Amino acid sequence: MSLGSNQTLGLRLSSYSDGIMPPSDEELVAAFQSGDIAAFDVLVQRWDRRIQGVIFRLVGHHDEARDLSQEAFLKAYRALGTFKSESRFSSWLYQIAINATRDRLRRRRRRPDVSLEDMEEGAPESLRDGRPSALDLIESSDLSRLVARAMAALPDEQREVVILKEYQGLTFPEIAEALDVPLSTVKTRLYRGLGQLRLRLERQGIRGTAVVPVPSA
Amino acid sequence: MDCDAFRDDMLDVLYGEGGEAAVRRLEAHQAGCADCRREMAALRRLRGDLAEWRLPPPLQAETAHAAGRPFPIGLALAAGLLLALGAGLAIAGAEVRYDAHGFTARLGRASDNGAAQAASERRHQEEEMAALRAEVMATRSRESQKLLASVGAMIRESESRQESARAASVRELQERSDAQRRYDLARVSAGLAYVDGRAGLQAARTTELVGHLLQASQQR
Repeated sequence: MSLGSNQTLGLRLSSYSDGIMPPSDEELVAAFQSGDIAAFDVLVQRWDRRIQGVIFRLVGHHDEARDLSQEAFLKAYRALGTFKSESRFSSWLYQIAINATRDRLRRRRRRPDVSLEDMEEGAPESLRDGRPSALDLIESSDLSRLVARAMAALPDEQREVVILKEYQGLTFPEIAEALDVPLSTVKTRLYRGLGQLRLRLERQGIRGTAVVPVPSA
Repeated sequence: MDCDAFRDDMLDVLYGEGGEAAVRRLEAHQAGCADCRREMAALRRLRGDLAEWRLPPPLQAETAHAAGRPFPIGLALAAGLLLALGAGLAIAGAEVRYDAHGFTARLGRASDNGAAQAASERRHQEEEMAALRAEVMATRSRESQKLLASVGAMIRESESRQESARAASVRELQERSDAQRRYDLARVSAGLAYVDGRAGLQAARTTELVGHLLQASQQR
């Protein structure tokens, strides 16, 4: 496959550049399906960082997130020609990215390898004498890190929903579409995930969660 | 009280997706349910805590950069509006001045000299606008080409990976095939040796038996 068709670059899209409003995802998909490869560039430019962000929150490694994001866009590029506009492009793209991430996480669990980064960040107490060091105490005050750890401890299906909702701002129907599950399942997973997070953060003594009972669901 | 029945409403209201009806239902329920009031408050606080989980600096910077990419369009829009406003004022002969008498603004033409000055300013502004438009187009083109090159590199990298994987698979298949062939040959060889051994033993026994028979017949 070659992307050397620079001749098409900007020719068809030039009609968009004359306007003030940027083209919608659906317009770009239609342009790509009509042979305008440059339309895909705009989609990558628009969605790459968001996709990297959601993958990073799922896998916890920046390089891996970049790698998986590339993989997701390659799959999207190859499949975009047959993409049906019945679903939103963004939901479809999230679905590809999350599936790629799930595959990677499954492989990683089958063949666990503890990197230096994992040893430093993942379980510092268990790898030493069980008592928190000065570094751990400093880290324990880092709410961002504690939230990341609490999130990492969630079951995958709950973590996906919480991340798509909290950090990507998708609506419930969009999440249902991206994960290909019913709306009720999305809400159940989210509710349970938030309950787990409250419980874990409460154990860490985080201020916002200390006084409220955990939901029974 | 069946609090679970209000769970969906709670989530809808928490994330602003419920609409007025959900808000009213939840408020009516919470008016008589202290547990749900506390839970809703806790979920709001939890969302505040979750918002503290930041992306690492590289992703933050890249996100900010990505978010800033549409800027040239916004810049062109803002600049265009300002220039259009300026051009409009200039065409109308408006004048804005700050001198020893203070700040002075005047709408309408003052004289022919003013008209000539306005025309000059308009030309200047049109030139600036054209330059700005050209700059925006050049930036857009550069970014598109860069992006295209990036996607092209991604695809080449992927194809290279696939080619390597394919070559490795073929190599592995060949090695397994060779190993299987060697194993089969070894088994055939072992089988032949066994048959040979069995045949040799049988022949030896037959020879021994014939020897015994000859010996017996000679003794008689």
